Amino acid sequence: MSEMLSGAEILCRALVDAGVEVVFGYPGGAIMPFYHALPDHPQLRHILVRHEQAAAHAADGYARASGRAGVCVATSGPGATNLVTGLAAAHMDNSPVVAITGQVSRPMIGRDAFQETDIIGITLPITKQNYQVRDVTELAAVVADAMAVALDGRPGPVLIDVPKDVQNQKIEWHPSQKPRDTRAGPRGQSLTPGASPGSQEDGVRAAARLIKGAERPLIMAGHGVILADAYAEVRALAEKTGIPVITTLLGISAFPDGHPLHLGMPGMHGEVHVNRAIQHADVIIGIGLRFDDRVTGNTASFAPQARIIHIDLDRSEIGKNVPVAVGIVGDARDITRRLVAAVEPRRCERWLEHIRGFVRTRTESYRGDLSPEAILASIYEASHGECTIVTDVGQHQMWVAKLYPYQRPNSHITSGGLGAMGFAVPAAMGVHLARPNGTVWAISGDGGFQMNMAEMATMVQEGLPVKMAVFNNGYLGMVRQWQQFFHEKRYSCTPIWSPDYLKLAEAYGIPGYRVKQAGELAEAVGRANAQPGPALVEFMIEQEANVFPMIPPGGSLSEPIEAAPAGAAGD
Amino acid sequence: MSGHTVAVLLDDALVTVNRAFGVLRRRNVPIEGLALHPSGTAGEARLTFVLKADAATADRVAQQFHKMIGVRSVMVLANGDSPTEAKR
Repeated sequence: MSEMLSGAEILCRALVDAGVEVVFGYPGGAIMPFYHALPDHPQLRHILVRHEQAAAHAADGYARASGRAGVCVATSGPGATNLVTGLAAAHMDNSPVVAITGQVSRPMIGRDAFQETDIIGITLPITKQNYQVRDVTELAAVVADAMAVALDGRPGPVLIDVPKDVQNQKIEWHPSQKPRDTRAGPRGQSLTPGASPGSQEDGVRAAARLIKGAERPLIMAGHGVILADAYAEVRALAEKTGIPVITTLLGISAFPDGHPLHLGMPGMHGEVHVNRAIQHADVIIGIGLRFDDRVTGNTASFAPQARIIHIDLDRSEIGKNVPVAVGIVGDARDITRRLVAAVEPRRCERWLEHIRGFVRTRTESYRGDLSPEAILASIYEASHGECTIVTDVGQHQMWVAKLYPYQRPNSHITSGGLGAMGFAVPAAMGVHLARPNGTVWAISGDGGFQMNMAEMATMVQEGLPVKMAVFNNGYLGMVRQWQQFFHEKRYSCTPIWSPDYLKLAEAYGIPGYRVKQAGELAEAVGRANAQPGPALVEFMIEQEANVFPMIPPGGSLSEPIEAAPAGAAGD
Repeated sequence: MSGHTVAVLLDDALVTVNRAFGVLRRRNVPIEGLALHPSGTAGEARLTFVLKADAATADRVAQQFHKMIGVRSVMVLANGDSPTEAKR
């Protein structure tokens, strides 16, 4: 049986067919036909955000927490351009976000029409693929294809631009008709170029040989371990060989914190013993990471003694940033499982003892007693270690990465590659929708929180019980720290005023708490955590607290800064 | 440093070609000359450029194109070599 459907109705049906349950969006002129059709599809829950950037970050948070595609919708022009930061963040962190934008009608395209923008051109470098649907008959197939592209292989964002007249166009629709594959290129092969099984086999054998002969081996686990659900395999590899494990910023929660083989985070703000271990290692097994500059510091002096085994799904990552001895292209879970089978059981006691010798006691000191460590411990205790933590960007992000004792897989979500301030609050809304039975804490600084705090209205209207933690030090703290260390302590434009967050929360009907001393932590955080709806806690932390240690930008992992420069420390 | 000639067969669609140019620009690829022709097969175009870089860079560039949706094959020709399809 066939029926006449508009492009907008087909779009909604295609989303339902793809299993989409939540759409984050904001209506506007060029996307109105979609919004007209939406109420007829109650399977699609729409979350009305207060800014399209939040829609993209929320879809990203949803995707990372669920492993499914996150969908966001915006109108043409400013709606579409407001998505850009969120798409760039999803692109850098390999998150399967599908963005749908309205566009001016086809006859108006290219004529600088009202709210026209070339969103295809703008998003080319920050999407895995994008589509402008010029023919309504292709719409359903494009949606199906976009979903597949976003999720296949190394995930990433895609954008579908739909002119308004295409949304309004009616065609005869046969529910049983198979979406036509609009892609001209050969399909059926993996979208990610994979090595042939033979060379994977060679790679695994070569890797096992290197591991056998290694005296000071290290495992570096990245985001790929989480994306590939390779927790058990990485743990099995570590436990069979006794090799210690480092987790990168996006690899945090890929390996349980507190495990005797877990060392911590490497790189710019990595612990001294972690970076020293890298510099002394003779073999590094990198699983699902791209050896980002925040991890390696100056690549010329990175791990000078190590032969690197690099396991990555994306062939173009192998050898991109650091030279590798063995590159294995494939799924982190599959390759690691085969590596576990290929390696011989061994221990690394002497090497672990060696690394323990690098451990430094924390040098951070905080005026008063409200330390980041105490704050994070209170959140851990209040949520019984069961919550998902979403962080923003800056000092608090590094404190959380270093100090929060993650136990559950994929319970740490942050904007790593792009480092987009304003990410935490909207992304946490997406995380809640993906994990409605769990607690989610959005941790921000006073800078990042003010970027997207309008989303408190979204939380109230849509009933999203996100717990917000604001680390208030009155500064854009990370930039201030750089100014202190590298710019003669000239605090140019980093002092930042905040409104009274408790009154602000109250204006939204959200309970708010302010913590000035450690003694107040348990009660305030506990009460916020127990709220059935959203809640906000402001922590008045030491104004000029720093994140130590720190590798100066472009510096070597061997030369950390472990204290504030002389004459500049907290005076 | 030996040069390489790279030929990319890709979908003859403006958005795909645009994305291919974007790879060259965004990845800061040192190129000399750039030509786009119909390949002779309907719906397919050939993008050709000379890469002023070593073999390792040429391979990285080939891999960046390989993962681009709409790219069908990538050929890399080093000076004095016969053309070979870049391994995935």
